[in-house]
Amino acid sequence: MAKRTCICFISLLLIAGTTAVSQDTVTVPLHLKAGFDLSGPIMKMIGSDLTSYGATLSADINSSLAVTAGIRYSTFQTSDYSYDFMSRGTSVAVGPDYNFIKANIAQGKHYAGIGVRYGLSFYSEEATVIRYNNEWGAGESSVPLSKHTGHFLEITPGVRTEIFPGMTIGWNLYLRMLISAGAGKDLKPVWMPGYGAGTSGLTTGAEYYISVTIPYRKIRVIVKPKQKESGDEEELEEGPTQTVTFPTGSGGRL
Amino acid sequence: MTNMFGTNSITPFIGKRFRYDLFIPVVLTLCLGSCSVQSCYEEIDPMMNTILLESGTGESAKASSLTVKGVTPADTIEFVDAESVSSFSVTLDPSIDKSVFYITLDGISDTAVIFYTRSPHLVSPECGYTFISTITGLMTTHNIIDTLIIDNSNVNLNGEKNLHLFY
Repeated sequence: MAKRTCICFISLLLIAGTTAVSQDTVTVPLHLKAGFDLSGPIMKMIGSDLTSYGATLSADINSSLAVTAGIRYSTFQTSDYSYDFMSRGTSVAVGPDYNFIKANIAQGKHYAGIGVRYGLSFYSEEATVIRYNNEWGAGESSVPLSKHTGHFLEITPGVRTEIFPGMTIGWNLYLRMLISAGAGKDLKPVWMPGYGAGTSGLTTGAEYYISVTIPYRKIRVIVKPKQKESGDEEELEEGPTQTVTFPTGSGGRL
Repeated sequence: MTNMFGTNSITPFIGKRFRYDLFIPVVLTLCLGSCSVQSCYEEIDPMMNTILLESGTGESAKASSLTVKGVTPADTIEFVDAESVSSFSVTLDPSIDKSVFYITLDGISDTAVIFYTRSPHLVSPECGYTFISTITGLMTTHNIIDTLIIDNSNVNLNGEKNLHLFY
């Protein structure tokens, strides 16, 4: 009997390695989020040429990582002294968001992080009137309606917080890098929906989202790693504290 | 409170702090909206650039006097009136696919007709559109001009030489 107990104990030690004393965990809810951008309607109210409505859907993968997909419909209409221009279209942008706040502090309610997106813009553009006035005289011309597809990358740092259960607000800045406007070098759009000025390789701005959040699952997150029982105590004392998330199906699910 | 992301002691403040910070973009948005008017500081008229060359040798030539006038059905427009020049630049008529010029070199006149295709080109949102051209052909009389040839058919904003005029 004593031999069996000994074998069992040794086996447990082998299975568990040399770790297994104390660890702190927190239970974090993972959310699905659906958000609406308020900055578009605000800009329109103050007299912008741009009308833009944006919405995002986001799903937490773990306590620090989420996948976000955004869709935006924009129309831009301007009348300059030398031209009248119109573009309209829909853009989609997909990519991950990484939350820098630790799970035990964020608790699924707060976000301060950065996102990266790949965006596609499906748009049409038209210059209904081009006015020119040079030595030959004055005149008018136009650029007929044409459809294009543009590509861009977006880096978007931001913050969000829960104002009450089920509702978050937050803003994010964005830096967009144009890959291609899809309209050739001569007819780059004055405004590419979802991106900005098509003649600029970089555009910046801010968005202000209000989101509805629905918890769909809870995970247990280790905020303080297990400490080794013997032999490696010195290494543990010097080792960094890490946040570890149980992958799905690994026993971390509650 | 040593580490914003690493300790629990700051947790109660995060909500308040975030809610305060969330008002920043409203101010930013208003500022962006009020700072959008800009001016155009770029050259927006593409020039057809012509260099004068000595017939036979191909050496650069300098005309003691040069006038270039554009011809429209209603009028003639003086583009160049200069002395001691070895090149000149003129715009092409953006309203049609043909421009007619009277070129007077050292007091002797010739007529040159330039044929081209036009296409709109967005310079910038501030400057608007211009018309760039591709020269497709030309004709000239030969009172003083020996040959007028196309060196580069693209008349755009890059300032490239387009025609060689031998006389």
